[in-house]
Amino acid sequence: MELFNSILTVAFLTQVFRLMTPYYLGASAANFSERGGVINIAIEGFMILSAFSFAMFNILTHNIPLAIFLALIINVVFALLYSVFTVKLKINQIVTGVGFNILIAGLTKFLMMIIFHSSSNTERFEGIPDNELIGKIPLVGAILSDYIVLFALILIFLSNFILFKTTFGLRLRSVGENPEAAESLGIKVRRYKVYGILISGFLAALGGIWLASEQKSFSDGMIAGRGYIALAAMIIGKWKPVNIFFASLIFAFFEALQISIQISGVPIPSQLIQMLPYLITILVLIGLIGKTKPPAADGVPY
Amino acid sequence: MFSRTSIQTKANIISISLSLAATFIITALLIILIGKNPIEVFGNMFSEVFLSGYGIGQTLFKTTPLIICGCGLAFCFHASIFNIGAEGQLNAGAFAMSLIALKLGAFPWYISIIICIVVAFGVSALFGLIPAIIKIKKDVSEVITTIMMNFIIMALINYFLVDFFAVKSTMHTEKIPEDMMLMKFSSITSFFQGSSLNISFIIALALAVISYIVIYKTKFGYEIRAVGFNPSASKYIGLSPDKIIIITFIIGAGITSLTGLNFIMGYKGFYEYGFSNNVGFTAIAVALLARNNPIGIIFSALLFGVLDSGGLAVNEIVPKEIVLVVQGVIILTILSINTIVDKKFNIAK
Repeated sequence: MELFNSILTVAFLTQVFRLMTPYYLGASAANFSERGGVINIAIEGFMILSAFSFAMFNILTHNIPLAIFLALIINVVFALLYSVFTVKLKINQIVTGVGFNILIAGLTKFLMMIIFHSSSNTERFEGIPDNELIGKIPLVGAILSDYIVLFALILIFLSNFILFKTTFGLRLRSVGENPEAAESLGIKVRRYKVYGILISGFLAALGGIWLASEQKSFSDGMIAGRGYIALAAMIIGKWKPVNIFFASLIFAFFEALQISIQISGVPIPSQLIQMLPYLITILVLIGLIGKTKPPAADGVPY
Repeated sequence: MFSRTSIQTKANIISISLSLAATFIITALLIILIGKNPIEVFGNMFSEVFLSGYGIGQTLFKTTPLIICGCGLAFCFHASIFNIGAEGQLNAGAFAMSLIALKLGAFPWYISIIICIVVAFGVSALFGLIPAIIKIKKDVSEVITTIMMNFIIMALINYFLVDFFAVKSTMHTEKIPEDMMLMKFSSITSFFQGSSLNISFIIALALAVISYIVIYKTKFGYEIRAVGFNPSASKYIGLSPDKIIIITFIIGAGITSLTGLNFIMGYKGFYEYGFSNNVGFTAIAVALLARNNPIGIIFSALLFGVLDSGGLAVNEIVPKEIVLVVQGVIILTILSINTIVDKKFNIAK
């Protein structure tokens, strides 16, 4: 009962919306890549990379905007490298993704030792400040005053608009559905795939930056599979921005619930709640909860 | 046909050498970048890993699970099954192995060990069967399901360990009976003194040879490769791709469970959460580097084993985490250079 009461609070809902942010940004990242026909399981690695670079530059320069900027740049560069592998060289996207994840996990551990002489975590730093003006709004202020959370919420409409109402979105989608037809209409197929991947790198970076800023430090393993949950959210959301948002919200709800359960001491095993997002994803995939279908040419090199 | 094979072999040799050279150069540059001497680092690693019995023993000990897991994945990859779930599959099997071993005190040790292997293989195979069935029945990519299964399996093991099977305030199970422990090399010869190298290494080598024969010299292996090369065409020569995918997935996932032999029966005597240390993912690189040839896998596993045990040797000069970077660089160089070399030799994929 105590647990039930703790869920029905504004604080809990605020928590859910905040925790939704990295999932939604990661899932949108994966979506832009897959809409162009390129599977990106390196989202996890991208989020680790951006969380680390944001932490590193923030500690070294004490300049938050600069740290954000540099973290974004680094991630976009890695995304570009990812596109060289998957689009230019047409290397298998799954294997490339695994390779990127292994490289990035190793690279951040190595740089942590070199720069911060610790294998577990960096020193603490200032997080991104909230917008005080928005923070004064009752009820929703606590959610909307965080710039990245706010951006994630705007992104629901923005990505829907970009994907379905602009020429760019139409072309990106046509490249992911039927590259041969797109080519015959004069669309530069490979270029659009690269655009999708770059947007992917950018959005995943924001997710990682938010997590590091929230924790006010970078620690090894802090992304903790969120990049993979993001992929799950994209699949459950059927590659549609609004549905992906709700899928992310559900996963965030479970995460917040798990935290509440741990605090309240109710004897529900936290591991079983941890595995729910993954279990739900499989159930959705096998069609027990609705049907879902990727872009037709998803994963096929062109 | 012959000339095609020899061109492929030539291309393989060229691309592997180029990849290793590229990795070597990138690593050296990285070491120079942080102001250290690469020759000193490589020298230390070499002398620590190759110039003492303990070093050699530890290296082969770390090579063992990579050979085993790499062979399991080789089966999958030959059938074009992208099994990213080895990490979960091997943990499920190894966990089952440790639990069943505790219940078999009444049997002679050799029967107990065989039962353990069969149970572990079965449990891992079961977790390979699930994505296989979903792939065939629902046309869902095994990539996503195996990734999700990794998390589910690890959460389940964590739950069962913490709530039921772990020794209090640890993350490992109870120790299995002493007579079920596999023989250590150090008990045969003092050369390997102190290292954890055990009979599992020999089992791994035998597994690689058997896998090689099955994949390249039997009808079944031919069928796996035919399905992997072109599933729809394989139907015209009378094969059932679905059936082959299921069997291959079961075999591949099942084999990964044998990594438990090395750690549980060869080393610690219990299952410990996180024992696999991402072997399931590293083995993907091991198999790739060897182009899924089990004999090649022995050598690529050795390379990663050297890196793994060499990390500690260089820790005083550069953080041992540098080997993780090197592993990542190897994967990406081999992928890109393979592709570029194949293009030069006009080898169609």
